[in-house]
Amino acid sequence: MALKVPADLEKEIDKRITHYPESKRSAVLPVLHEVQSHFGYISEDAVVWVAKKLELEPIRVLEVVTFYPGFRQKPVGKHHIRVCRTLSCAMAGSAELMEEFCKKAKIDRSKVSHHDPIAVSEDGQYSIEFAECLAGCGTGPVCMINDDFHEEVGTDKLEEILKNCD
Amino acid sequence: MIQIAKDKTAYIDGTPHLIGEGESLLNFIDRHKGRGHVPTLCDAPQLEPYGACRVCSVEVALEVDGPRRTVASCHTPLTPGLHIFTESEKVNDLRRNIVELVLTDHPLDCLTCEVNGNCELQSVAAKVGIREVRYPQGRNHLDRKKDLSHPYMTSDLSKCINCSRCVRACDEIQGQFVLSMHGRGFDSRIIKGFDTSFEDSDCVSCGACSQACPTSAISDIFQSKSIEATNHTRTVCTYCGVGCNLEVATKGNEVLSIQAPPNAETNGAHTCLKGRYAFRFYNHPDRLRSPLIRREGKLVEATWEEAYDHIAENLNRILKDSGPDAIAGISSARCTNEENYLMQKFIRAVIGTNNIDCCARVCHSPTAEGMQRSFGTGAATNSIDDINETECMLVVGANPTQGHPVTGARIKQRAMKGIPLIIIDPREIEITPYAKHHLQLRPGTNVALLNMFSYYILEAGLVDQDFVERRCENWEELEAGLKSLDLDEIEKLTGVDRQEVKAAAIEYASAKGAMSFHGLGVTEHSQGAKTVMLIANLAMMTGNIGRRGVGVNPLRGQNNVQGAADMGAQPHQGAGYLDVTDPKIQAHYEEYYGAKVSGEIGYKIPEMFEAARNGDLKSLWLMGEDVVQTDPNSEAVRAAMANLDFLVVQEIFMTETAQYANVILPASSFLEKSGTFTNGERRIQRVNAAVEPLEGTKPDGQIMVEIMNRMGYEQSACTPEGTLAEVAGIVPFFAGATWEGLGDNGKQWPIQEGCESTTILHTESFKRGLGKFHFIEFKESSEIEDNREQFPFILTTGRLLEHYNCGTMTRRTRNSEIVSKDVLTINPVDAEVKKICSGDHLRIFSARGEVTLEAEVSEEVKPGILFTTFHFPEHMVNNITSDVHDGDTMCPEYKVTSVDVEKV
Repeated sequence: MALKVPADLEKEIDKRITHYPESKRSAVLPVLHEVQSHFGYISEDAVVWVAKKLELEPIRVLEVVTFYPGFRQKPVGKHHIRVCRTLSCAMAGSAELMEEFCKKAKIDRSKVSHHDPIAVSEDGQYSIEFAECLAGCGTGPVCMINDDFHEEVGTDKLEEILKNCD
Repeated sequence: MIQIAKDKTAYIDGTPHLIGEGESLLNFIDRHKGRGHVPTLCDAPQLEPYGACRVCSVEVALEVDGPRRTVASCHTPLTPGLHIFTESEKVNDLRRNIVELVLTDHPLDCLTCEVNGNCELQSVAAKVGIREVRYPQGRNHLDRKKDLSHPYMTSDLSKCINCSRCVRACDEIQGQFVLSMHGRGFDSRIIKGFDTSFEDSDCVSCGACSQACPTSAISDIFQSKSIEATNHTRTVCTYCGVGCNLEVATKGNEVLSIQAPPNAETNGAHTCLKGRYAFRFYNHPDRLRSPLIRREGKLVEATWEEAYDHIAENLNRILKDSGPDAIAGISSARCTNEENYLMQKFIRAVIGTNNIDCCARVCHSPTAEGMQRSFGTGAATNSIDDINETECMLVVGANPTQGHPVTGARIKQRAMKGIPLIIIDPREIEITPYAKHHLQLRPGTNVALLNMFSYYILEAGLVDQDFVERRCENWEELEAGLKSLDLDEIEKLTGVDRQEVKAAAIEYASAKGAMSFHGLGVTEHSQGAKTVMLIANLAMMTGNIGRRGVGVNPLRGQNNVQGAADMGAQPHQGAGYLDVTDPKIQAHYEEYYGAKVSGEIGYKIPEMFEAARNGDLKSLWLMGEDVVQTDPNSEAVRAAMANLDFLVVQEIFMTETAQYANVILPASSFLEKSGTFTNGERRIQRVNAAVEPLEGTKPDGQIMVEIMNRMGYEQSACTPEGTLAEVAGIVPFFAGATWEGLGDNGKQWPIQEGCESTTILHTESFKRGLGKFHFIEFKESSEIEDNREQFPFILTTGRLLEHYNCGTMTRRTRNSEIVSKDVLTINPVDAEVKKICSGDHLRIFSARGEVTLEAEVSEEVKPGILFTTFHFPEHMVNNITSDVHDGDTMCPEYKVTSVDVEKV
């Protein structure tokens, strides 16, 4: 199945590509970001679509997708939670935060592994990921829910944060 | 001591050495100290430098005692005056540490590993002096599963050292982009396609990755890198006209595996799945192992003596009753030069007729004819290696990645580097996405399109007037003709927008050097030879002749189709293209052969069939050709075979044609014989027997000699040295060729003094003196004229990478597990009208007959056009093809058949 890309997204992508007049290949990261932000993840069809757009072999796009943990290869929940696991946040209690988020959002914590870093709740409402540094080291533990950034997230705040998602 | 200029030297461990242009440190060290002096893991000579493993690290300094820096030698450019330290304690430690770390994640099961003794990791570890791995076993990848899904390719990524050589081989050599590095850091691993198996990926089984892999992480079912073999023989591939050099590993009398020798000039460490893996036909149980004689309607086993007696008796009877012209022979472009020479000599000197032809008739005879008329000689003007120099590539009617895979891969690589590629072809082929221009014309309109192409070169003022005036003649005729063209009509006929043609024509004519390639999509047409003349026109009018990176380069089909014609396996020219009707030449041949020869032009293949049907031809001798299966209009060919009085077939397998034989002689395959093949760039290369002839078989050359002797002609034995010397004595452009002089890489004819090559033809003047322009008017094929009302679709045919012609050999290998049937490609628009889906069974019928094929709906073809391959006898695609021929050479028009199609 070919990827169905809405006209306005394609227009935006075409605009992004013009920022790299020397080589379309250089646009691979911004284009992948656009695709992921629209579809939530980057499917095989999306890789093929991007490759065609940038006149690359699909595998050249796939290897970029797999290189960066920030790119996802499978669907996430309606609300995607990224808990920072890097040093400052880890010391500030990101492991407990992770456990607690999973409980509250009804996600099986054991499904978050090194090789498969994203787990989704059964109802598809929430997904969670242990992410690399989110650049809030002074205010850890931090997390992001979709594009919203939350700092000094104590386990007591979770209920409210999740409620505000809806 | 010779004084060397300082700006041209650099120092390796204190000793000055001359530097070469554009060398890396590693190239420089390899050249002076030998490959392996500095150990490497991720570097391979056939690949670009990569700099991943750092094992090739060396220390460098600007002054001998100056501060030192450690760099990876493989990708560091050399500068004059540099001091390189290849064996300092620091680099030795560094290398040892790197390899030791690699070994922490590598199964140390060397004794049971297939590459034990031929593993680069093993030798590098030994070279850097590792005696123990100091690190405790930690996390590792030793539990990775093997991938044994594919008929040929295998992988065991627990053995992978992440050097990316396989990825780079797939990209840089084949251009298939199947392999990649997934993830990063400790998690990085090699994947195929979208992380699938070899079987499910787009892998074309060329084996470049396997040959490049330093361990057994990627290999093949033949375990090609194992050291089990006791002998290695260098020979030449038997499939296409690229002429890949092969290194055949044998043990006793068994072929174990085939690799591509890294120093091969034709194919440098690369070949395709046919050359590398499709060899197991050679000892297949179906091989013919005894002569067979038809007795009371049945083919029964006989001894060679009985077979020869039977043949001699019958041929003598026919000679006596009907004369020599009642006998004909078809030689084989799959056999060696020496065997072809002997076959034509048998027909000409022993039988006494010029009724000799070969399968060039049905493929590139129009090329030979067309180029002879334009240039004076029919062979490729340049060398395949010129692809690296050219600035523009024009591919007309050829699908090189399928038909000539190694040349195809090189064209693709060059196009990926940004060199404009122009394709003139009715189909979207594998290299189309890399092309700057694709002129997708309707089959059968090459002449019209190339006329328009030439017109736009003229119109744009891009004609090389100087070249035209100095080197050519008859320009006025062409110029006047081009000016009289009706462009509206051409646009309608070809279905190609004139602006597209104009842009492509300007691209070709403006390039500093443009190289054209053409295949059977040019020749197998009613105006085949004429189309070749138009391609020659293009090269001459733009001055693209006589230097590197230009010229007209037919992609010759069979391994030795060039050689078969060179040796005289054609009815109008004897060995060396000499005119058989010229009394002086006739006398020359008679003196050399010591026998009377005929001065009358003999039958071409289609004329042989015609003569057989009407009773003029009584006997036919076929050397390795299955005409019933491969020639057009099979019914008519069958009728010809059935009507012969005496048919002799020399074959390695029972074929459709052999079913009609009175005598079948079991021949040996290319792996079992020695001689020479001449590839598409005129390169005469040595074929060396890797194994003894299969029991009961004889090499074709020996069979020819024995029958010549039996018929009373004294012919010396067929030996590589002796028969080549005999050929060199009569074929002018072979003069000076010796078995020894040909060397490992062969030599391109015409052979120069000292057995040297001629890489480029027509450098100063054309073989015929001046190059001749021809203006050709387009003429619609009678097949279309007569049948278009009743059969509105045009069927065109082509080949697949995995199979070779009627598949006699490739179908008896695991290639048939990769592709097991012919399918019919139809455009979605037509499919919708006809309510056809992919996988449906279709009836395709023409004025001759019908066939059934499975549908594949694809935009590869335009509406109104159908495409199929012809590799599988059960489909008998040639039941429907027409026997319309090229007006000049009688090459059949396989590429245009009027048909209709319906769902079964």
